Amino acid sequence: MKGAPFSFLRLGLVAQNTLREAVRQRLLHLFVGLALALVLGARGLRDFNFGAPELKFIADCGFGAMTLFGSALTIAATAQLFFSEIENRTALTLLAKPVWRAEFLLGKLVGVALLTGLFCALLTGLLAAVLWVREGELMALDPEGFRGGRAVSYAMVALGGWLQWLRLVVLAAFTLLVASFARTQVFAVVCGFGVLVICHLQHLAQEAYTRAGSTVGVALGSFLGGMFPNFQVLSWADSLAAADLPSLGTWVRLTAYGLGWALAAGLLAVLSFRRREI
Amino acid sequence: MKDFPVGLRGVKLRAVDHLDLTVPAGVIYGLLGPNGSGKSTTIKALLGLVAPSAGECRIFGRPSGEVAARREVGYLPEAPYFYRHLTGRELVGFYGRMCGLGRRELAGRVETVVAQVGMTGAADRAVETYSKGMLQRIGLAQALVHDPRLLILDEPTAGVDPVGSAAMADLIRGLRDAGKTVLLTSHLLGQMEALCDRVAILDRGRLVAEGTVAELAGGTGRQQLEVDRLDEAQVAELRAWLAARGRGLHGVAAAGRGLDAVFLERVGRDRVGGGQA
Repeated sequence: MKGAPFSFLRLGLVAQNTLREAVRQRLLHLFVGLALALVLGARGLRDFNFGAPELKFIADCGFGAMTLFGSALTIAATAQLFFSEIENRTALTLLAKPVWRAEFLLGKLVGVALLTGLFCALLTGLLAAVLWVREGELMALDPEGFRGGRAVSYAMVALGGWLQWLRLVVLAAFTLLVASFARTQVFAVVCGFGVLVICHLQHLAQEAYTRAGSTVGVALGSFLGGMFPNFQVLSWADSLAAADLPSLGTWVRLTAYGLGWALAAGLLAVLSFRRREI
Repeated sequence: MKDFPVGLRGVKLRAVDHLDLTVPAGVIYGLLGPNGSGKSTTIKALLGLVAPSAGECRIFGRPSGEVAARREVGYLPEAPYFYRHLTGRELVGFYGRMCGLGRRELAGRVETVVAQVGMTGAADRAVETYSKGMLQRIGLAQALVHDPRLLILDEPTAGVDPVGSAAMADLIRGLRDAGKTVLLTSHLLGQMEALCDRVAILDRGRLVAEGTVAELAGGTGRQQLEVDRLDEAQVAELRAWLAARGRGLHGVAAAGRGLDAVFLERVGRDRVGGGQA
């Protein structure tokens, strides 16, 4: 009898099936709809721009929608897709086949990563279109202001979408890590949002503790810094100018940072899931 | 042996207790027992889905915890639930690919097993439209797709009507005749008696009886005779004749065909082949 080595084909089949399940979820349709509405409606909200240039404000709205609805979508979809397999016992049938648990779990992660990839690509494309149209209108109204051609770097917009996706993949991996040992979906969702808050705010906490000189606070901040990724590192640059576009090396380092954390959390999830009784 | 922790104070529930069982190849082997007797836990341990607290399970000599051991196993869970967005054919194909079948080999296998379970007519419908009986049969098809030597069927006729149930029993016999080993659990004792070559009875995790159906259910020292209807005087005469030879007449009852037979005759087994149940 032959052995059954780890198979990327089986992992891919689980991912493909996960994606097919995910795109049928009504929750996904709701979040995508809301995010699309916010990006398309950003022009209508420009009176609330707090003094920011209009195109920058539209971009901020678009990436804000991606962060807000993308995070909610990622956490909900990851937890739901995992627990639906356990609760409906489809995992029972699947894991009774010659399938490694790592293939199953990493397949789920890749499936959610594909889903968030589609989400980010859709919204980034739409945001770029909205910016392009509005920039064209502004150029017609004020040719002098755009003497050097278009001001928006669309490579910068693409980078913003890419970094958003990396953050969502990391978030999915951490949510899956919690789900791998959690008994309820609600627990996984609550912890997923907890991870989101820590990853977003840990740098602020570290700065505050350092300023206050609190030894315990600094130690706690360092501990959190070691345990969770810093999403500030993966933040979209505060500019739309081509001059601020990071080098290829920086793109690669940022990608390695995001995917590295996602891989680490995914492998920990596999370790935890290995002994779980189905 | 399998213990499950209960609560936070280290209390453990023994689901399977010193169970020592060998299933011979090429037979239909029934695992009987009331709810909570450890049947499902035993099956999960066999499939590597739970780890025994002590002892080991082997499938054709290979530890059941090894992924490769499951190459030789097809499993139909109780009340199966499948990915609802797939059609029956896609579902069987998906599990076939998960079992390592190549694309060329897969198409033929899918057609074969879908036909074998009588689902060809409904194979292109989404699984979410299937009745319970159809789910059981497409479940059996996914269990068979990689041509395993051992089939583990957990309550394969639970919730299925008598027509579907009889068709499933015929399928299981056919699999045994084709050389497969079938491990079966069911609460339908009559069906198990008619179907199984050997049975094991579990209670509270322990094995309380094991053997062939004849060994376990026979051995009363009595016989049943079926004769044309006798009136009371003839029955009395027969009783006296038997008594003169040292034998007793212990019961007289009208022989019926049984409701199952009437149901199958009136409703018809031919419904099953069209992908209905």
